[in-house]
Amino acid sequence: MIAGHFGLAAGVKGRQPQVPLWALMLATVWLDIVFAPLLAAGVESFDTVPGTSGGYGNAIIHADYTHSLVGALVLAALFGLVAARPWGRQAGVVLGAVVFSHWLLDLIVHRADLPILPGNAGDLPRLGFGLWKVPAASILVELALVVAGAWLYWRAAVQTAPADTRRPNLLGLLVLGAGVVTLAVDALVA
Amino acid sequence: MAFLLGVLLFVVVAGILDARLIPWPRPRKER
Repeated sequence: MIAGHFGLAAGVKGRQPQVPLWALMLATVWLDIVFAPLLAAGVESFDTVPGTSGGYGNAIIHADYTHSLVGALVLAALFGLVAARPWGRQAGVVLGAVVFSHWLLDLIVHRADLPILPGNAGDLPRLGFGLWKVPAASILVELALVVAGAWLYWRAAVQTAPADTRRPNLLGLLVLGAGVVTLAVDALVA
Repeated sequence: MAFLLGVLLFVVVAGILDARLIPWPRPRKER
């Protein structure tokens, strides 16, 4: 899931207009951004699901630090603390919650590959409801998040700038279009 | 690829345009 995370962040902007959109967008994929250098360093990795050639939803992700339950909570808390310095406690709480929302959405779609403790310490059961096994359902959930998020964002933007709706309209379409294009690339190309 | 595209479109393009085009309220730092 990629586009769905951005859709959720756009929706949060609609309800928390004082928090910068770019920071919400960064927060919603923060776990994956931290994952990238660990992937390059070989600390975390991913495999394709056996019997498939990869593609949308056919990944088993070994992100045992960034995508463990406790690891995600720590990364969310750190992001929130840093954000609270310039923007205040409320913005910090919102952004920390958006960081952690990534883990909750991943929990829905991932196969059971999300550990509870960093490094899968204690070899506890891994979590994941596996909606990716039904790609059409997963894509629909992502699309719903993108559409709902873009709508909430657009509605708040119109309320903020009611005199000139061209700018909210342009940005609402940009958020919707960016979500649809990202989802299409994820589902068809990646 | 989709991840990089998403970051580019949402964080960079939408984030910058949003901040420049919409007069959102600024975050208020509690005292």
